[in-house]
Amino acid sequence: MAQPGRKTSPRLLALRRPLPSWVAHGIAIATCLALLILWEITVDLGWTNPIFLPAPSTIIATMWDMSVNGNLLPNTGVSIARVAVAFALSAIMAVPIGIAMSVYRPIGAGLEPVIDFIRYLPVPALVPLSIIWFGIGEETKIFLLWLGTFFQLVLMVAQDTDRVPHEYFEIASTLGAKPLEILRLVAIRAMLPSLVDNLRITLGWCWTYLIIAEIVASNSGLGFVIWTARRFMETSQVMAGVVMIGIIGLVTDQLLRRLHKKMFGYMHS
Amino acid sequence: MTMPYLQFNDITKTFGNLDVISPPFSLTIPHHQFMVFLGPSGCGKTTLMRMVGGLETASTGMIALQGEAIGEPDSRRGMVFQSYSSFPWLTVEENVAFGMRFRHDLTKTEKRDRAQHYLELVGLSNFAASYPNRISGGMRQRVAIARTLAAGSEILLMDEPFGALDAQRREQLQVELRRIQKEERKTIIFVTHDVEEAVYLADRIIVFSQRPASILEDIDVTAQIGDDRLLELRESPEFLKLRSSVLHTVRAALGSTQ
Repeated sequence: MAQPGRKTSPRLLALRRPLPSWVAHGIAIATCLALLILWEITVDLGWTNPIFLPAPSTIIATMWDMSVNGNLLPNTGVSIARVAVAFALSAIMAVPIGIAMSVYRPIGAGLEPVIDFIRYLPVPALVPLSIIWFGIGEETKIFLLWLGTFFQLVLMVAQDTDRVPHEYFEIASTLGAKPLEILRLVAIRAMLPSLVDNLRITLGWCWTYLIIAEIVASNSGLGFVIWTARRFMETSQVMAGVVMIGIIGLVTDQLLRRLHKKMFGYMHS
Repeated sequence: MTMPYLQFNDITKTFGNLDVISPPFSLTIPHHQFMVFLGPSGCGKTTLMRMVGGLETASTGMIALQGEAIGEPDSRRGMVFQSYSSFPWLTVEENVAFGMRFRHDLTKTEKRDRAQHYLELVGLSNFAASYPNRISGGMRQRVAIARTLAAGSEILLMDEPFGALDAQRREQLQVELRRIQKEERKTIIFVTHDVEEAVYLADRIIVFSQRPASILEDIDVTAQIGDDRLLELRESPEFLKLRSSVLHTVRAALGSTQ
C-alpha cells in the first residue's frame, strides 16, 4: 500500500522484491543480446581491428565452418571425455575418503594436513613434473585434472559430512541402525544435496585445468585448437574454441541444476 | 521381589574437571511410568537421559534395564529430539517406517500395517505421502513419536520435544502424548524445564538442582492429581496447587547457588 505523501519505489527495483521468472529470463536474454549487438556494431563501424576482436557473427560463422569442415567437434569430444574421466575418478575417490575423514576422526587427523598442503600447490606449477612422470599422453591430462579437483573436493565432502546434524546419527542409532547403515541411509542422504552442488562447482574447475593441460602438452582437444589458432593469429578460431567451452559449461551447469531440483524436490517447497 | 525395570546405580559424570552429575545419582523407574526430569537448562538432566539411550557414558556407576547393563544404542530405547527430529528426504510414512528397516522379524506386510497403525495413532494418515518441510513443526514431532514407536521402542527418551512449538500445538501434543503413552504402555523419560508441562504429563517428576545435577525432589504426581489428565484438569485447584509447589522448588533450586 502506498502511503499518502510518500513516493513508492519503482516496481522492479524495490529492495529484495521477488521477480517473476519470465521477467528474469527476459532481462537475461535482453542483456546478452544488447552486449552482442554492441559488440557487432563496434566491429562493423571499424572501431576495432577484426584481427584482434572479430565480430560475433564472424565467430559464429567460424564455429560453423570449423564444425563442418574442420575438426572442432572431434576435439570437443576429446576434451569432454578427458574431463569426464578425470572428474569421475576424482569424485569416486573423494566421496568415500571425505566421508571417512569426517566420521572417523583418526582418518581425518591423518589426512587433513597432507591434503591441505597439496591443495595449495598451483596446478600449473606441477605441469612440468607431470610431464616428467607421465609424458604428454592422456595420463598427464587426467593426472592434472585429478590433482586440481580431488584435493579440493575431498575437503568439501568432509565438510558436508560434518554439517549433517548429529541428531540424525543419534536418532538412527536408537532406531537400531548399525554404523555402516547410518552412513549409507542417513549421512549420505542428508549431505547429498550439497554434495551434488559441490560436484557441479568442481566440474567447472576441471575445464580450467584441462585447457592448461591441453595447451602445454597435447595435440588434441579444445585447448590445442585454441593454441594452434593463436599461432596463426586466427583470432576468430581462438574465440570459437573459447565460446565452445562456455557453451559446454553453461549446458552442464543448467543440467545439473535441473537434476538437483528433480532429485531434491523435498527441499524446494 | 521383582526386578526393577530401569535403574540408575550411583551414576556420576565429569567432563574434564567439571562435575556434571554429583553426588552419585540413583533412581529406579518402574515399567510404564511417565517420568519427567525437570530442572534448569544445562543442569545435567539431559545427560542422564542420554545415558539411558547409550548416547553418553557415565564416569562411574551403571544403568541397568531389566537387570542388564545398558550398552550401545539400540531400538529398545528411542530418542525424540526438539529439532532435526525427522529426516527431510523421506516422506512422513517412510520416516515412520525407517526403524523397521532394521527388523528382520517382520514381513513386508507387517511392516506396512505397523506403519499405518502408528500413523493413525498420531493422526497423520492423511499426510503419509508429504515431506516434512510441508507439514507443521507439531506434525514433525508426531512423525518422530510414531517412528520411535514403530521401531519397537519400549522406552521413549524425549529431549524437550515440544520446546519449539507454539502454546496451542504444544498443549495438543501433550494431551496426545499422554494418551499414547497409556495406550501403548510405554516408559517415557521426558526432559523439560517447563513446570506446567511437567505436572500435566508426568506420573512422577524428578526436580533437579543446578549443575552438578542432583535430585532436589521426587514427586508422585499421580498420587496428587490422579491418572486421568483431561484438559480441564489444568484449571483445577489440585493441579494449580501442585504446579505452584513445584514452581517454588524450581525457583529455590535456582536461588540456592546464586
